[in-house]
Amino acid sequence: MLKINNLHASVEETSILNGINLEVKSGETHAIMGPNGSGKSTLAQVIAGHEDYEVEKGSIEYFGEDLLELDVDERACEGIFLAFQYPVELPGVNNTYFLKSALNAQRKHRGEEEIDAMDFMDIISDKIKLLNLKESLLKRPVNEGFSGGEKKRNEIFQMAVLEPKLALLDETDSGLDIDALKIVANGVNAMKSSERSTIVVTHYQRLLNYIVPDFVHVLVNGKIVKSGDKTLALELEEKGYEEVIKEAKK
Amino acid sequence: MKVLQKIEADFKKNIAEVSSETKDIYTENFSEFKKIGIPTSKQEFWKFTNPSIIKDSEFSLGNSSEITDNEFDIILVNGKLIKKTEKIVNEDIKNSLEGKTLDSTIFEKTNNPFINLNNAFSTEGCVINFGDNSEEEISILNVVDNTSSEQIIHPRIIITAGKNSTISILEEIRFLGKNNNLVNSVTNFHLSEGANVEHIIIDDYSENTYQISNVLVKQKRDSTFSSYNYSNAKKLARRDFIVELKERGSHCDLRGVYLADDSNHIDHHTIIEHEDEHCTSNELYKGILSGKSTGVFNGRIHVHNDAQKTDAIQSNQNLLLSDNAIIHTKPELEIYADDVKCTHGATIGQLDEKGIFYLRARGIKREQAQKMMMRAYIGEVLKGMKNEKANEILLEKIIANIPEGD
Repeated sequence: MLKINNLHASVEETSILNGINLEVKSGETHAIMGPNGSGKSTLAQVIAGHEDYEVEKGSIEYFGEDLLELDVDERACEGIFLAFQYPVELPGVNNTYFLKSALNAQRKHRGEEEIDAMDFMDIISDKIKLLNLKESLLKRPVNEGFSGGEKKRNEIFQMAVLEPKLALLDETDSGLDIDALKIVANGVNAMKSSERSTIVVTHYQRLLNYIVPDFVHVLVNGKIVKSGDKTLALELEEKGYEEVIKEAKK
Repeated sequence: MKVLQKIEADFKKNIAEVSSETKDIYTENFSEFKKIGIPTSKQEFWKFTNPSIIKDSEFSLGNSSEITDNEFDIILVNGKLIKKTEKIVNEDIKNSLEGKTLDSTIFEKTNNPFINLNNAFSTEGCVINFGDNSEEEISILNVVDNTSSEQIIHPRIIITAGKNSTISILEEIRFLGKNNNLVNSVTNFHLSEGANVEHIIIDDYSENTYQISNVLVKQKRDSTFSSYNYSNAKKLARRDFIVELKERGSHCDLRGVYLADDSNHIDHHTIIEHEDEHCTSNELYKGILSGKSTGVFNGRIHVHNDAQKTDAIQSNQNLLLSDNAIIHTKPELEIYADDVKCTHGATIGQLDEKGIFYLRARGIKREQAQKMMMRAYIGEVLKGMKNEKANEILLEKIIANIPEGD
């Protein structure tokens, strides 16, 4: 579904991605790991379509189409979902209204009819249980006054409602305690299907105990220096990035 | 100064029919007005809004016309009360003065020449009295028929709220044409002990209009005045609120949204007089400006000697959607009591791009994302409005009128 070929990207003339090659097939889960500043989050942002990043070279194909041609909202409508590392607070924008607007924007894009309030509430009450979120959060402004854990669960809750084809989880584990981590992982796992792929961006192996990846990639200085299966994550946990990077260079 | 000669001639004509008993009120105010005439921007109070640009026009007193609109309880056209309601006591000013149902001290001279001028012409405006313990929701249509050009009109509304009354007033200022007119309006509110008054102003754009308006509020013990003021800029628009918290426990909320585009101008001056102890005020004004428009917000809070335990909050926030739009924002705090809490803040910015990106990342188009953010921005100002129907109408109206950015 996703083919990244020799991708170079920069922000304000600082190059961050320096030739990424990655292929993700339908149903696969890929983990992107790497030290601070290696470009992990940038990769997720570039795939999602953040306009602050300039793609200088290379290509991203998504279901055979040129993804870089699409704006962020078009990419979302085509089924790409970015779970934010820092979910944005939107004072005054009601959570339910926001989600309904998003779902309807995507349905409209697919040529489907807008969903009515009743059907929407049915979907919502199903999914909210999955993430163990309080119903009262739906009536509140998006993310405003949410705890760190609630914000992250709210991201996965949105993902559950929008049912993307490609989910990008950008450090979804950061700031989560172990219980919240399990809930989030549960939510992601419950959505696993042969039609849906996931890219998990993370520092730590911990999350990967719960969201088990098919492939693990180590990103250093904007390049994938090593790829492997889930055991690579364990190796990283044990030896640290520096050791693994050194070995990879040999 | 053609304008002054014209006004004087009209003044003489206007008071010809007034009884000798009340004549003095008008003539005194007119001579007070003449002392200063039309002010210029050399005066600090008029620094950013220069009313002297109107002095070369030959404004003559506007005439009223017949208008019907069943949506409204009370209708004024060019300042003349033409529709009354059965619901409450309402009468024109001349009759109220002659019948002694209106205290003439309401026309006391001020240092604002426009208020004095309105006083001098206040014969046909509207007096509304809400009785003690009454609960009412009324709507007023304040029409400016500017289908003829070079008119000056002086709408006046005087509202008294009895003890422990709960009142919601929706006032729409509607312009019928686009001609060069000068509107000089004054609205008075007198709140008795425990009265709770909500005043909603819907004041839309009209090109070529000069508008000076003053809202004067006097509050007694434990009363609450909540103002929601939506104002769209005009060629020149200036609205002042002067709220006097005269007795302990009184509270006012001043909330406003102003929009401006092209080379229009909108100025709000608010003055809150904290005269007694344990009074609170909460002020939130938000502006959205585009084109080459100019906005002014001047918020004065005056805490008198005796006003211990005052709690005053003021905030002015502005979105500038173009490079050439200008906002002058100025808090003015003058505090003579020592045990008080006063906070103020002003911001100028653009829409939160992070928020827009977040919405877009969920599939919402940029245009709609911006609208959602604007709705949230304005929604905060309208929060707490008791008249739910008005809240909805107003929010939609504002959203529809938000100027385009660059």
